[in-house]
Amino acid sequence: MDMPFKPLQAVAAPGASSPLKAALQQRRAAFERTGVYLDHFRHKDADPIKFEVFYTKLSQYINNARDLARQVAASPEMREMGESVLGLYTPEGDAVCLSPGLMVHVRTMSRAIKWMIDNDYETDVGFRPGDIFFNNDPYIGGGHAPDQQVIIPLFLEERLVGWAGGMSHVSEVGAVEPGGMGISMKTRFHEGLYLPCVKIGEHDLLKRDLEILVDRSVRASVWWLLDTRAKLAGVKLIRDAVHSLIAEYGERYFLEVGEEYIEDTRRATVDKMRRVLYPGRYRDVGWRGVDQPELQTFLHAPIETTIRPDGTIFIDADGMSSAGQHPVQATLPLFEGILFNSLIQHVFYDTRYNEGTAMVLNYYVPEGSACNPPDIYHATALWGPAFAGGIACNQSISRAYYVNGYLEEVHASNAQVNAVIAGGVDLFKRKFAGWNMEMCASGAFATAFMDGLDTALAEFNAEGDSGDAEIWETALPLTYLGRSIRVDGGGPGRFRGGAGLYSTYLTPQVSRLEVGSFGGAPIFTAPGLMGGYPAPVPTVIVVRNTDMQERIRGQLPLPDASLALSSSTDAGAAVHGDWEFVKGGNYIARPIEPFCIYTQPGGDGSGFGDVLRRDPAGVRRDLDNGVISTRMAGEVYGVVLDAGGAIDAEATEARRALMRRERLARGIPAAEYKRRGREQLLAADLPRVGRELYKDILARPGRFRDEFLGFWQLPADFRMG
Amino acid sequence: MTILDAEISDLIDGRLNLERVHEIQAETKDEDRRRRVVAAWQARLGWNEPILLPLQEGLFIVQCGAQRLVRCACGRDFCEYHTNWKEHALVYERDPQDGAIYDRASAPTAEWMVLREFYCPGCGTLLDTEGVPRGYPFIFNCLPWFADDAGGA
Repeated sequence: MDMPFKPLQAVAAPGASSPLKAALQQRRAAFERTGVYLDHFRHKDADPIKFEVFYTKLSQYINNARDLARQVAASPEMREMGESVLGLYTPEGDAVCLSPGLMVHVRTMSRAIKWMIDNDYETDVGFRPGDIFFNNDPYIGGGHAPDQQVIIPLFLEERLVGWAGGMSHVSEVGAVEPGGMGISMKTRFHEGLYLPCVKIGEHDLLKRDLEILVDRSVRASVWWLLDTRAKLAGVKLIRDAVHSLIAEYGERYFLEVGEEYIEDTRRATVDKMRRVLYPGRYRDVGWRGVDQPELQTFLHAPIETTIRPDGTIFIDADGMSSAGQHPVQATLPLFEGILFNSLIQHVFYDTRYNEGTAMVLNYYVPEGSACNPPDIYHATALWGPAFAGGIACNQSISRAYYVNGYLEEVHASNAQVNAVIAGGVDLFKRKFAGWNMEMCASGAFATAFMDGLDTALAEFNAEGDSGDAEIWETALPLTYLGRSIRVDGGGPGRFRGGAGLYSTYLTPQVSRLEVGSFGGAPIFTAPGLMGGYPAPVPTVIVVRNTDMQERIRGQLPLPDASLALSSSTDAGAAVHGDWEFVKGGNYIARPIEPFCIYTQPGGDGSGFGDVLRRDPAGVRRDLDNGVISTRMAGEVYGVVLDAGGAIDAEATEARRALMRRERLARGIPAAEYKRRGREQLLAADLPRVGRELYKDILARPGRFRDEFLGFWQLPADFRMG
Repeated sequence: MTILDAEISDLIDGRLNLERVHEIQAETKDEDRRRRVVAAWQARLGWNEPILLPLQEGLFIVQCGAQRLVRCACGRDFCEYHTNWKEHALVYERDPQDGAIYDRASAPTAEWMVLREFYCPGCGTLLDTEGVPRGYPFIFNCLPWFADDAGGA
């Protein structure tokens, strides 16, 4: 069928009606009515080769744009860590094609464009050739203040033909703590400078007054200002590419084929789900928390994933903890982005990803919860339960793969990433502030067929690595004493989780320095899968009033990263000073003197399967590589070594048989366990932080409350005392 | 290249060459994998009731007469599959500070979380762990649907 071609009108002048808003509303209504984005493939059907060639060109242009942006960027995270994504959007703001990078943000820029259209920017602010918009408001589209978007409208003469957007993480935003992410941020007003969909440039030029605003509002503006220019360079390259493609293929082809890619992706996504994931109801639970003197709380992220036989998916977060006066929570767009991120990495890695991917994702998150706060004043700097929910969703997807026999896709969970945050004035009198993203090299999840990789990745950034220590020393002048893999770091299992990274720094001789870690509560945040154990809890170590100056002067041995590996009392022998251990790592940034030692842990992956099924050769290999302790080898894995260090297979088998008998002896029948648990609940005989959790999550009527009461056989009017 | 039966067996055992695993990950999924994985398990387990689905590591849904039961690899039956098998397991609530799995500096205190371990009463296999605050219900992880299920409609 040959469809009549109607190019979009020029965007409205101020005071006029908004054709763009009308088009967006029409598009939404049509999808609501039909469940499809487009009911035909005019161009794909007519010439599928041309269809694919065009996409390849488009995709390559956008990848080039991201590479260019990385070359321009100032911050190590955008330049080296791949903390960015660029994309092309339809005139109504639907994502057509995106670069690799931060998949969390595939739809957040789409949301920002649509927010501008919905809020009458077309008539009140104006969309004109050469305009440059900026957004870092997570309630509009993003994760937190550091997630910064540069978006430009794409015009052909006076007609809007799309949008180009670039997003990157900028880790200094003028918040109450340096680095844009800190545990002390209790409301939006602690989180720094927000520019919610602000026009920061016209005629392709950035506004000088807004750059001055940024320069005077953040501790060190170079990353914000130069990374903005980097994204602008990238989106301008996309604009050039669009003009070139239109010149070659025509305006009509460009506009129509973009819509076809979205529908094609939607169909491919549904088809992939239907083919690879076994239908059913899957449940997993993620946890985060806050551990501060005035607030100790759990953030509960229960995820029920329903995979329907038709390939659609529904994610229900009923039972999620309420939002509160802390930063460990997320906006709804971010929660959606995290799910998106999980699914793209775990299922849709071989399909296109754009707005069509998001269209198969249906979810419910209770209003007022920690992933759907009741108002925009709630802090969201640390995202916590959204990541926890993403991990839970991934575990459930692994179960659906497992049932179908696709063991090569089954994995346990990723670590919660921690990092050092720092700010001050460096040795060259330059202001600096940011967070060190080397902890993106966290331990990876175990899989159903191999151990998790050590120091490998971060959940939110598949490209993440530790970066060069020397680069980080120039960005945040903490002197490295060493980096090390965390011994016994990964969660034990038939396949163990990957071990994360520890870095130990010496604080430099500077006039001003504050250091902290956003970290987490002292809880398990990476659950094991199918018998594997959770990853251990990381610990920040701070040593003040040290003898480091004397050691340096006297040319005595200096501690290295191995200091961090012994967080017990004998570590005090290594360095004289006042030691502080912060389990979990919720350490608010605070002034710190020169010659202190600060040790930052990353995160570790969790384990898969029963430890007693682990191949003893794998245990021996881990010992040889220094990844596990002899205690872990013997007491957890039941591997017996002879005097020469070789595996004693017979003794190992005997020891494992004994360990299984010990399990049978100490385990109690579930019915008995439940009887005791019920009595504890009725008597409110639980630790305070647990009681507060249940008071909160049982206050909201719904499926989770009903099932909680049903499981423990509690009365319908049960209230936690 | 189609995944071979021997490769499926190696994949189950965690012995398949990782380069080959990567190839399999990159290829279009073979649509009869479930049937072939079930056949591989059926051949190596010491009981005859037909496996309907692999439920998770160490557990299967098997057809026993008119019932679909959750069964451990050792042959121990837990319950009908609509029920959470954990309700028929042995449970041990571990204080993570007991030093048996984690060193104390790397484990939560029981004020925050306990570590539940679920064992097969037949063979003592550790089938699941849950790091949860005290009083948290057992998590019902996996309820697959069959074509004749009400849930699967």
